[in-house]
Amino acid sequence: MKRLLHSIALLLVTCLAQAQEQILVEAESFINSGGWVVDPQFVQQMGSPYLMAHGMGNKVANASTKIDFKEKGIYHLWVRTKNWAPGNWEAPGRFQIAIDGKKIKQTFGTTPSWSWEYAGTTSIKSKKVEIELIDLTGFNGRCDAIYFSQENVAPPSSGEELANWRTDKLGETSEPEKTASYDLVITGGGVAGCAAAIAAAEQGLTVALIHDRPLLGGNASSEIRVHTLGIYGKYKRILQLIDTEHYPNGSFKAKYDQEKRDKNVKQYENIHLFLNWRAYDAKSDNSVVKYVDARQTATGERMRFVAPRFVDSTGDGWIGYWAGADFSYGRESANEYGEAWDEWGELWSPEEPDNFVMGSSVLWQNEKSEEESSFPELPWAMNIAMGHKAIAGEWYWEFSRNDLHQIDDAEEIRDHLLRGIYGSFANAKKLEENKFYKLQWVSYLVGKRESRRFIGDHIFTFQDVLNHTKFPDSVVQEIREIDVHFQQNLTDETKPDFLSKALFYKTEKYYIPYRSLYSRNISNLFMAGRNFSCSHVGLGGPRVMLTTGQMGAAVGLAAALCKKYNVNPRAIYTDHLEEYMNLIENNNDQSF
Amino acid sequence: MTSHFRLLIFILLITTGFRFYEKNTREPLHFSMKKEWQEITLAENKFSFLGLDSIMNHMVQLLSNELNQPRLFYCDLETAVCADGECRLARIKIYWNLLGNYVGYGIHSDEPLTKYDHDPFIKDDYDKLHRLFLDNNSVLRRKTMYELVDKVPIDPKSKEKYNDVDGLSSATKKDIADAVVKGGLYSCYTLWHLIHGEAKEKMKSYLKSIESDSLNTYFLYSDYKDYQLHALKYLSKEEFTKHSSQVTKIFKEAQPMTRTYILKKMPDEMLGQKEVSKNLYNDFASVGINSRTQLVNRLKAASDDAPSLVSNHLNILTRNQLKSYLQFFDDNPEKLTESIALKLNQAAKSKSLTYGYLVEQFLDND
Repeated sequence: MKRLLHSIALLLVTCLAQAQEQILVEAESFINSGGWVVDPQFVQQMGSPYLMAHGMGNKVANASTKIDFKEKGIYHLWVRTKNWAPGNWEAPGRFQIAIDGKKIKQTFGTTPSWSWEYAGTTSIKSKKVEIELIDLTGFNGRCDAIYFSQENVAPPSSGEELANWRTDKLGETSEPEKTASYDLVITGGGVAGCAAAIAAAEQGLTVALIHDRPLLGGNASSEIRVHTLGIYGKYKRILQLIDTEHYPNGSFKAKYDQEKRDKNVKQYENIHLFLNWRAYDAKSDNSVVKYVDARQTATGERMRFVAPRFVDSTGDGWIGYWAGADFSYGRESANEYGEAWDEWGELWSPEEPDNFVMGSSVLWQNEKSEEESSFPELPWAMNIAMGHKAIAGEWYWEFSRNDLHQIDDAEEIRDHLLRGIYGSFANAKKLEENKFYKLQWVSYLVGKRESRRFIGDHIFTFQDVLNHTKFPDSVVQEIREIDVHFQQNLTDETKPDFLSKALFYKTEKYYIPYRSLYSRNISNLFMAGRNFSCSHVGLGGPRVMLTTGQMGAAVGLAAALCKKYNVNPRAIYTDHLEEYMNLIENNNDQSF
Repeated sequence: MTSHFRLLIFILLITTGFRFYEKNTREPLHFSMKKEWQEITLAENKFSFLGLDSIMNHMVQLLSNELNQPRLFYCDLETAVCADGECRLARIKIYWNLLGNYVGYGIHSDEPLTKYDHDPFIKDDYDKLHRLFLDNNSVLRRKTMYELVDKVPIDPKSKEKYNDVDGLSSATKKDIADAVVKGGLYSCYTLWHLIHGEAKEKMKSYLKSIESDSLNTYFLYSDYKDYQLHALKYLSKEEFTKHSSQVTKIFKEAQPMTRTYILKKMPDEMLGQKEVSKNLYNDFASVGINSRTQLVNRLKAASDDAPSLVSNHLNILTRNQLKSYLQFFDDNPEKLTESIALKLNQAAKSKSLTYGYLVEQFLDND
C-alpha cells in the first residue's frame, strides 16, 4: 500500500500520501506555488519546508495543486500553520483555502505556534480535486501542510511524533531512494562552500555541492544581499569568480554578481550542483562521517551522498552536529582565551560566559516611485518598531536576545525583524517626505552572523589577532578589523531591540591556521565558513565572506591532497604540509 | 604660618608639579558630571601625551578637591589642525573623569574654535562638539582623515547620498556626517583623537596605580553609571554581598548591560536574601527583557517570594521565558503554591495571554 501511495505522490509531483481515507499534502509540493515562496530555513525546528505569502503588504497570487482522492465523501480537514505575530490584534498572516474553487469559511494562520488548525468537515465531491491557498493579507501567512481524513483524529502536533507520523503518511522508507558517491561532499553553497567546490574541482575531484536555495552565495546571494568583505589572500582568482562589488547592503545590484557566481560555478563539470536540496541528516561511525542525507525542498525527493570526506559549510554546522563533532556556542568568558578589551568590557567579552552572540539580519530596500502610495497601519508591528522610522535597512538591522538561540529560535528572530521592518516603514510612511516610497524588497531569509562553531585542532582567538601569529599552516589571512556587535538597547533602553552597533578593533594582518578548518574529533570532516574553529571574539573579524571564502578554497585544496594520499584532513598538516602550502601558493597561477 | 614659609611651600609645590587650581580659567562650556570642577582646589601635573602630529606634547593634570581626593583629569590643549597643507592652532580645555572618559570641555573666550573656512563655531556647533566627544564609539575612531574627506555629503538632505556606504567599514555617509560639526571635520577629527587616544590609556594606567577600596567605594556610591560599573567589576563576589543594598539600588537605575552584569555576578546567597529578591523581582516588569530572562533563570536561588512575584507578569514573558518559568515548576514542584497555580489556571483560560497554550500544556501534563 505504501509503495502504491508513493507512486501516486511521484506521479503528481507532490508529496502526498494517501491511505484509504487520509491524505497529507505538503504545501511546498504544490504544483503551482503562485506568489507564495518555499521557505526551508526552519525545517529542523518545525519539521518541514513551508509555503509563505511574502507579499510585503500586497496579497500574493494563489498557490494551487491537484489531489487524487480514492473516495468521495466527508473529510475532516486540518491545516498546519501558525500565527507568526501573536497578540491582541488580528493575526497578520491570515489565509483561506478553496477546494475546487469553493472557499472554506475558516481563516487560517491564527494559532500562536505551529499547529494543526481544524476546519471541521468538508465534502469531497470528485476524485480529482484542486486546492488553492488564498492569501488575505500579503504579510507572511504560512502553510506547512494540509491533511484530509475521514476519521476525526488530529495529527500529532510537533516533535518526533509528528516526524514519524509524517514519514508514515508519506510512505517514506528509512533510507533515501537514491545513493550517489563523490570524492567530496560539500553542504552549504555560500561563498565558503562555493570556493571549496571550485578549488577541489580544479584539482580534479568529483564534488557534490548541496545547497538549500535556488541561488548560490548564501549571505552574498541576491536573496540576502550582503556584500563580500575582507581580502582575497592567496585565492584571488577563485574568489573573484564568486564575490560581489561593494554595493550598499540590500542593493538590487546583487543580482549581477548572482548571475556571475551561478554561471562560474556551473561551468565546472565535476561540480554536481544540488540546488534546492537541504541536508537533513548525517551519520558517523567510529568518528567518521559516512553519508549526508538530503531532501529536495519542494518535491521531497531524497538522496544519500557518500564520500570519503565532507565539508560542512552550512553556517549553522548541521553536518558536524549530526555527526557528533565537538562545537561551541555563545560567548566565552574573557579569561578563557585572554580576550578582554577593557575599553568595551562586557560588550566585547564578558567576565562570565553567556549565550549573547551576534545577531541575525534581514535586509530590505525601498523604491521611489512616480506615484504616491500608502502603507497600512500594522498594530502587530508597533510594539516592536516602537516609534522607529526607516525607509531602508542596513547591516545594523540585527537581532539577538539572551532568551533566543540563533538556530533553535531562528524563525522567531526572522519574524521579529520582519515586524521591526514593516513597523518602521509604516511609521516612516506617515511622513510627507516619504509619500513616494514603497517597499521594493524585503528578504525573508535570515542572514546569520554567528551560530555553532566547531572545535578543530586549533581554536582561533583574539590572541591570534593581537599577536599576529604566523602559523606554519597559515592558509587564511586577513587585515579587516575584528568587529563584534552588540544590541543598541543594551546601552540605551530607548532604542528598538532590532538595531545593533559594532565595536572595531583595528589590526594589522592576522592569520588563520589550517588546523582551524577540520574537526578535532570527526576525522574526515572539514569546515569552512562561520562555523570554523574559533571563539566568539575570534569570529569577529574572519566571519566576512572573502575570509570565509579563503577558508573554503583552502579546504578544497586540502581535500585534493587527502585524495592523493588517501588520508584524512589532519594528516595534511602532520605529513604533507609543505606540499599543501606550495599548492596554495601556486593555485592562482593555474588555468583550467 | 609666616609669609616666608607660605612662599616656600608654594615654590615647593610648583617645582614638584602641584598647581593651585584656578577656577575662573577652567570653567567648562559643557560638563556632563555635576559640579565636580567647582570643588577642585589642587591640580597636579601627572603625565603628558603626544599629539597626532607627534611633535606637540600635552600635559595632563589630576584635579583633586580640598580633601586631596582625586576627581578629574584635565588638559589645556593647544593643537595644530591641518587641512590641505594649511595648519591653524586650536585651543581647548578638556575634562575627563577618573576612568579616562571624556566629560566636558571649555574654550578660551578670545580663541574660539573655527571651521575649515575660518568661520568661528556657533553655539549649535559647540553643543554638537560635546555630543560627539561623548561618543567613544564614533565612526571617527576607526577612520583616517584621508578616508573621511569627501565622505560627508555635500547636500546633507540627500537621502541617496546618505544611504551610500563607505567602502571601508560599511559606515554610511550619514554616520560620518552625524559624527562631525559641519565644516569642522578637521577640528573634530583631531580633537576627538586627542581626547580618546593615548591620553585615555594613560589615565587608565594611572587609575590602576591609585585604586583603593575607598576610591572604589566613592565610585560605587556615586551617581555615575560608568563609575558604578567600574566599581561593581572591582568588587569580589563576597564584597558584592556586603554592598547588597547599593547593588540593588544600582540595578534599579542601571542601563541593561549593567543589570545583566549584576545578575551574572550576584552570588546565590545574596539573591536568596529575602530583601534582595524582593527588590529585584518587584521590578520584574520594568527591568528589561534580558534581565527578565536572567531573573526567571535564577528563580532557584531566589527567595520563596520570587516565583509568585513573577506570576504577576505572565503576560509580558516571552515564549522562551514562559517555558523556563514553567520548567522551574517541573523541576521544583514544591514551589508551585496554590496562589501561583490559581494564576496559571486563570492564564490558561485567558485569551489575552499570547502564549497561554504553553500554560495549558503545562497544566495538562501536571
